[in-house]
Amino acid sequence: MKTVTIDLKKCVGCRNCEMACAFARTGQDCVRDNSNIRVNVYAEDRFVMPMTCFHCEEAWCMGVCPAHAISRNPRTGAVEIDPVRCAGCKMCMLACPYGNIHFDHEKLVSRKCDLCGGDPECVKHCIGGALNYEDAQEANDRKQRLTGQKLSGIMKQL
Amino acid sequence: MDVVIIGNSAAGLAALEEFRKYDRKSHVVMISREGVIPYSRVLLPYVLRGKLPFEGMTIRDEAWFQALDAECVAGEVTALDDTCKKVILADGREWHYDRLLIATGSHAVMPPIPGIQDERICNMWTRADADRLRVYFEKYQKVVVIGSGFVALQAAWAARFRGLDVTVVELMERIMPTVLDETGARILTEKIREKGVKLYTGAQTREIEHLKDGSFLVHIKGMEPVEAHFLIVGTGVRPATGWLEGSGVSVSRGILVDARMQTSLPGIYGAGDVAEGPTVFGDRHMIHALWPTAIEMGTIAGRSMAGVDCPYEGSLNMNVTQMYDVTVASIGKFNDKEIDDASYFDEKAGKGYLKVCYRDGRVCGACLVGSSDAVTVLGKLRPLIRGGEKADCTLERLEQYVNLRAFASRQMG
Repeated sequence: MKTVTIDLKKCVGCRNCEMACAFARTGQDCVRDNSNIRVNVYAEDRFVMPMTCFHCEEAWCMGVCPAHAISRNPRTGAVEIDPVRCAGCKMCMLACPYGNIHFDHEKLVSRKCDLCGGDPECVKHCIGGALNYEDAQEANDRKQRLTGQKLSGIMKQL
Repeated sequence: MDVVIIGNSAAGLAALEEFRKYDRKSHVVMISREGVIPYSRVLLPYVLRGKLPFEGMTIRDEAWFQALDAECVAGEVTALDDTCKKVILADGREWHYDRLLIATGSHAVMPPIPGIQDERICNMWTRADADRLRVYFEKYQKVVVIGSGFVALQAAWAARFRGLDVTVVELMERIMPTVLDETGARILTEKIREKGVKLYTGAQTREIEHLKDGSFLVHIKGMEPVEAHFLIVGTGVRPATGWLEGSGVSVSRGILVDARMQTSLPGIYGAGDVAEGPTVFGDRHMIHALWPTAIEMGTIAGRSMAGVDCPYEGSLNMNVTQMYDVTVASIGKFNDKEIDDASYFDEKAGKGYLKVCYRDGRVCGACLVGSSDAVTVLGKLRPLIRGGEKADCTLERLEQYVNLRAFASRQMG
């Protein structure tokens, strides 16, 4: 199943992904707070890291949702929130160990990446080639070592 | 193999779903006392407040049970005969089991206050309670809520949100000791009062007088009595274990279970509000009576019944809700008596009151009265609390670290 993969050494921190996501979601503007993808900036370490939902195989958010509002889209494999069923209780936000579920302050429900139905806007607008829509396993095998070394280095300094 | 699951809420449903991942052949029966189509208790305040339609409470349909090939039975189990391996229902029906899961949940308690027995004095715990309350919310104006725990305050908020005149009476000197630390409780108390709820702490309800016109007069020690058209009692819950007396299953406050959710009898498991299982902090037996814990315990029980050995790493209490226009959340240990040290996010960070707690130099919990977005911080801290990780850096660095750690744990898997 394809997902959005992140190649850290190619991310330049332009935040186009955030703006593309915000626009795709709202259809109005590119206010980054409305984005489901977030770029973490570590200025001192000269390091940037986009974060978006991994659509976990054993998705904690999906298991814990007391409204049964989270399910997997059989076609895209995306873990999706049904905004009609969602009560806005935020249990999914508390359950996600990656901080990848956000809150929609207008509709008062949780929101997250849905892979744009299988054609993610963030990937299309990534100028560095850091974001790709591809088979997760292959990408992981390829990138794992490099990413791991860089992250371990920074984590040691923290 | 015959599998019987008693209870169709969080733990029972999670167990059924998990069991079927490993075993498609066994015959599974799910017995539930509140009807075969399950609803979610967590949603009651949201439904009463009008955030969700009443039908939104239903969380599974018939098709879901069909897909999992489970037979659903409505009824109350009143006895367990482990010698003959059967459970007996109130109407005399019997079901044989090779594996049994007890996920009967908990009952809301009614404190021994004179005059508390009345149709218009109810809890907010079952679908029947919700059925009554939705009518009272429409029909009446004045409500008194006894208790100020998580459920009571959500009920009070639902009523206030709908424009009712709400008084909350709490026996203790502070609200929500199991959800917030003292400072958090103080901040929330102010918010509650700002919203026009009359909240009294250190207030003992002595008697509920029934007046001739059908309304009530609630007598509180040292105060003027308060008028009410109906009352909501939210003073805690008790595990539903009464029917297990003499069955051989070890019960303390709840059913005692090990890390595989097994009770003192082989082949019989317990999960959810009814069970006392191990915690991540090393307690052998504790009841959280929380939805996420019930899901986790149910999942482990489902695996164990299918013969998959996967011991529980222990429960970690977590709570979250939005009420009085603020997000209230907590995880792990946050009361000053239980921790060595704490750090607080700067107000300028826009998170509200967010306290991160440490014990022996390790992150052990956090609590929040503030913004919705800050809930993600608690979520990201959860693996650190579970892992008992050392943390000797500033909060800003800690937040960066949890972000990196989250990414790394995925990428390096």
